[in-house]
Amino acid sequence: MLEIKNLHVTVGGQEILKGLNLTISDGEVHAIMGPNGAGKSTLSYAVCGKDGYEITQGSITYNGKNLMDMDPNERAGEGLFLGFQYPVEIPGVSNMNFLRSALNSQRRYRGEDEIAAVDFLKLIRAKAAELDMDPEMLKRPVNVGFSGGEKKRNEMVQMAVLDPSLAVLDETDSGLDIDALKIVATGINRLRATDKSILMITHYQRLLDYVVPDYVHILAAGQIVKTGGKELALELEEKGYMGLGITESAA
Amino acid sequence: MTQKRYFDTPQIATSFEAVRQFLPGADIDDFNGLRGDAMSKYMDSGLPGPKVEEWKYTNLNFLANENFDIATALPQETEIKELFEKACVKGLSGPLLVFVNGHYYKPLSPFADQKGIKLSLLSDNIQSFRVGMAVSDGDSSLNNLNRALVTDGYHLEIAPNVEMKQPLQVIHMATSGTDMTAMRYRVQIMAGAGAKAEIIESYIGVDQERYWTHGITDVMLDQGADVTIYQFQTQGRQAVHMTELHSHVADKARFSHISLQLGAEINRTELINSFTGENADIELRGAYLGRNKQSQDIFTRINHDQPNCQSNQLYRGVLDAGGKSAFQGKVIVARDAQKTNADQSNKNLLLSRKAEANAKPELLIYADDVKCSHGTTVGELDPDQLFYLRSRGMDEVTAKGLLVEAFVAEVFDDIADETLRTAFKEKTARWLAHEVTP
Repeated sequence: MLEIKNLHVTVGGQEILKGLNLTISDGEVHAIMGPNGAGKSTLSYAVCGKDGYEITQGSITYNGKNLMDMDPNERAGEGLFLGFQYPVEIPGVSNMNFLRSALNSQRRYRGEDEIAAVDFLKLIRAKAAELDMDPEMLKRPVNVGFSGGEKKRNEMVQMAVLDPSLAVLDETDSGLDIDALKIVATGINRLRATDKSILMITHYQRLLDYVVPDYVHILAAGQIVKTGGKELALELEEKGYMGLGITESAA
Repeated sequence: MTQKRYFDTPQIATSFEAVRQFLPGADIDDFNGLRGDAMSKYMDSGLPGPKVEEWKYTNLNFLANENFDIATALPQETEIKELFEKACVKGLSGPLLVFVNGHYYKPLSPFADQKGIKLSLLSDNIQSFRVGMAVSDGDSSLNNLNRALVTDGYHLEIAPNVEMKQPLQVIHMATSGTDMTAMRYRVQIMAGAGAKAEIIESYIGVDQERYWTHGITDVMLDQGADVTIYQFQTQGRQAVHMTELHSHVADKARFSHISLQLGAEINRTELINSFTGENADIELRGAYLGRNKQSQDIFTRINHDQPNCQSNQLYRGVLDAGGKSAFQGKVIVARDAQKTNADQSNKNLLLSRKAEANAKPELLIYADDVKCSHGTTVGELDPDQLFYLRSRGMDEVTAKGLLVEAFVAEVFDDIADETLRTAFKEKTARWLAHEVTP
């Protein structure tokens, strides 16, 4: 269970999140929507521990552990996964090598043995196949020369291999055509299970047609201003933020 | 006035006179004479000081007042074996030459004659060396110092159209007992027309001694010859490592030099290359890594004196706290060298605010129909890349290691032989993991 209480986050001296509360229980899928500049990406980076995102007040705990004291890699070891809005290119590091190193780092953190090379190969090939990734792409440097859709698909393959218990997906659906969107949705739906939690940050209702959330939250001006079921996203789609009485300049 | 830019070292001349009669070839008048002439030439200038433009990144002041004797240590067999095991690239079955403290070491140097390949030692083939040394165009003061005091080395001749089936592996090592001694080697490689050869050179030594390794290599490639030198420089932490290579590359010939420099306190590697024919290729690639007072100074020159030739240089530097480097790469395209294609790339990665990387590319182009490019960067690890790796579970050391390995990998990725490619990458990884002798 992820519990965020009264979270205040400052970036470059400017307060972006201003007392955000959010609880995600095991097995739940939550969607966070909100206008530009509401603090959606800030929330995902603060949860995953990126440098420069300073928490000035409040707490983030996961399964009772204080995440704020942990390095990003320790958070990953605890089961967190961040799906990037803009996945980073890493020239010179093959997808395969990258994922093996990541998976083994997490296993070491949890006190488990490293995965045998043969087992790893089987695992990664199976996950790539499930998400229709050409196995040749596993040999290519991480995200280098990948199209927007291929990068997001790669995020889903990474998520499938690392098998997190909490996935935070930061606008994973942005800039995708319908085919790529379906791949991303498949990746998210495959992760869904009673012991997994998913937090989707999205701009558009479109993704929610394919991954139906249990809860929808609207984030504006650094706080969650409205919470509802999946119908809230539809209402938002129909009426817009203004129609729901939310202005971008709510701050 | 120019004299003052060099350090006088009278103690070296005195020492030379004392040891001269014990040096190889002392009984052969013309060879002994050549040594004497070389010493006079050296003494005329001395050691280059930091005011000599080409030496501004490596200060030899500390050598000027010291005397490095000829190494005479009688090393323990176990120590030799230990260093040998570390340096030797396993899984290759070619001939092996081991030099210990400046002298050929037979027990670890099996080499069988192959038809068309002549491999001999300086110590027993003075005449070949005399000829080779006479034609060598290296005339720097340090080259002359080496001529005067050289103790051993090898001479490799490959007959026309002969291909060496396995690479020749040469290991130069410095054992304990070599403190304040110098080991001066000389290497001559002559590849006949259409001949093909690969040479692996490893330099290794103990950390507790301050020794000076000084090697000069002359490589002559006839038409269509193909020679590649792979070099591993993993010298001891206090070592002074200096090598100077001169290559002459004829019509349609191809010369490659691929190196990893991660040892020694002071490293000065010079690669001076000249095209003597058309449609020829020169490729220089290297990675240099430094930390804790290490200084890696790579100096390259490519003389494009002939038209229709290609040269390609790719160097990557990684500097951690206390490390310093210089890459000085000069390309000179003569007026008649039309259709020259010269490319140079040098990138440096600083892992600490207490690291220093210097880059000095120099292109002198006198022809008008050429394609020349150069690019130099000095930067730090990309924080977004680092966060991406860490968000996937890698701790900081693992993530940085992966990024640095990737940065350096470009230098070695094209090596066809997997054993060699892996050896380069593993030694790099061990340096990154702070292992004592990578």
